[in-house]
Amino acid sequence: MASPVIRSEDERTEPLLEPLTGAKKRIRIAPGRAVIFAVLAVVSVIIMYPFYFMAVTSMRSEAQYQLGRGFSLSSWTQLFASVPVAREMMNSLLVCTVAIAIILTLSTTAGFALAKAHFRGHGLVLLGLVGGMMIPVQSIIIPEYVNFVGLHLINSYLGAILVYVAVGTPFATFLMTTYFRGVPEELVDAGRCDGLGYAGVFRRIALPIAKPALATVIVLQFIPIWNDLLVGLLFLQEPTVRTFTVGLGVLASSRVVSIPGLMAGSLLSTIPAAAVYVIFQRFLVSGLTLGASR
Amino acid sequence: MSSASAVIVAETVAEVRSRRLSLDRDRSRTGVMLVIPAVATVTAFLFIPIGEAIYYSMTNWNGITSQWIGPSAYLAMFKNPLFWRVLENNAILLLAVPVTLVCGVTLAALLNERVRGWRIFRAAIIIPTAVSWVVLGIVGIQAFAQNGMLNSMLGSVGLKFLEHNWLGSPLSALIAVAITFVYSLVGVNTLIFVTGMATIDPSVYEAAKLDGASWWQGFTRITIPLLRRYFMFTFVITAISAFSALFSLIFTMTSGGPNYGTTTIEFFIYDQAFATGAFGTGALLGVVLLVILASVSLLQLRLMNRGE
Repeated sequence: MASPVIRSEDERTEPLLEPLTGAKKRIRIAPGRAVIFAVLAVVSVIIMYPFYFMAVTSMRSEAQYQLGRGFSLSSWTQLFASVPVAREMMNSLLVCTVAIAIILTLSTTAGFALAKAHFRGHGLVLLGLVGGMMIPVQSIIIPEYVNFVGLHLINSYLGAILVYVAVGTPFATFLMTTYFRGVPEELVDAGRCDGLGYAGVFRRIALPIAKPALATVIVLQFIPIWNDLLVGLLFLQEPTVRTFTVGLGVLASSRVVSIPGLMAGSLLSTIPAAAVYVIFQRFLVSGLTLGASR
Repeated sequence: MSSASAVIVAETVAEVRSRRLSLDRDRSRTGVMLVIPAVATVTAFLFIPIGEAIYYSMTNWNGITSQWIGPSAYLAMFKNPLFWRVLENNAILLLAVPVTLVCGVTLAALLNERVRGWRIFRAAIIIPTAVSWVVLGIVGIQAFAQNGMLNSMLGSVGLKFLEHNWLGSPLSALIAVAITFVYSLVGVNTLIFVTGMATIDPSVYEAAKLDGASWWQGFTRITIPLLRRYFMFTFVITAISAFSALFSLIFTMTSGGPNYGTTTIEFFIYDQAFATGAFGTGALLGVVLLVILASVSLLQLRLMNRGE
């Protein structure tokens, strides 16, 4: 009985509004909508223009670029010849994957503890971690660098990974705590009635239903780590351990590669982050607006 | 019968109580176990270094040896004109924050009209968000160079007299950085405002329309006030980015020049520590940056709580 009533009410509100606005717009605001379309189209073209520029320029040799016409793949071959693209891509992927895996592990465990498995002083721990969110990487990078020189962690993947983890974990933990708080207490109780301890509840109940939050953490961490220059520049200096973004930054500042070659590299570095972005877009929004809606 | 069941009841009550006690113990013990890895990692690699930064900020540390100077190191920095020059650059960059917000909310409002193809427009507007600021810096050079995109565009629309080597003089280079910054962050702002607008009940607009309100009135009197929280949030994340996320952009686009014209405090940290070897000064600037960012965050909390 209840569901048909609700459905019919939905149907009533929807069509009731549509013809009304539609009619008004058709009569009065139709030119307005054309203007909106035009404005959005112009803005989109301006925003997309640099990508068009990158793509077209990368398809030209240095000479063709100067001329402003022509087509060749020589800049791409030049890029692959002067930069160990595959190696740097693997380095980027490795650093990103391991750092995010560690961040996920630390933030889900701590988030569950702070939301559900309360202990004496949990409020204080949460406050401390939230305070850690405010610390920018630039404020710790100098002592961290000197410490890691002493620990022989410079030019080692682990060094850079630990910096990313340290900076990324507080926000990820905050996000997971917020998510686990939304999990009904009844689910935890049900798990306990089935004889699970809190560790079991975490592993069997909380973790499986936290997939959307995990996706949010992944996308919010992947893009900044993939795109990072500062940490990589200092902690991964050797060409063999360098990430692709660092390689590109060094290449750009050394100015040994032609502009078309740089554009090819730029385009290449954009693809993974853009792909993650498009795939996880939904989760990005939920993570970003967490602070706004609370 | 009844006495036997009473015994069973008593037993189960005792059992339940002891089980609850052990569960409570299990809860707090598991909680501590689960939180330790995160706390230990963050302490070792975030809190201890920030403590070290505060200590070394009051020394003349060069990375190996250090001599204690004391709080007067801060006073010396506050008397350094270069420090104020850098903060001024940050202040000018902050002017890009309201521009980003206005662009973001406007584009979100236009997208919200759901004109034909709005999803494609949304994708186009959001895409730069995923692009590394290293890439944006590389493209930015091509955009603002003497023979770059901007100048050729100005030339083609008959504004040749505005042509300028944008990266060649301090102020215009800073403006070029600010424009690239806006370009990069408009997408996130738009995305957040679109999400915010989706939370507004459409019937509010219908009621306003029936009362004869124009689209503009609906936008200024309904949308903007209802998005207050979203405005504060985007303001804070955009301002924080302006202070702490521009390193790669500045590094690739201008290297802080010309003549410190595009050196912001975060780039100054790198410049002092790793270009001139003044690690103590770099640490001090890091502490100043932290204080600025913490103030912005606390201001946000204050404003948000007052709004309740």
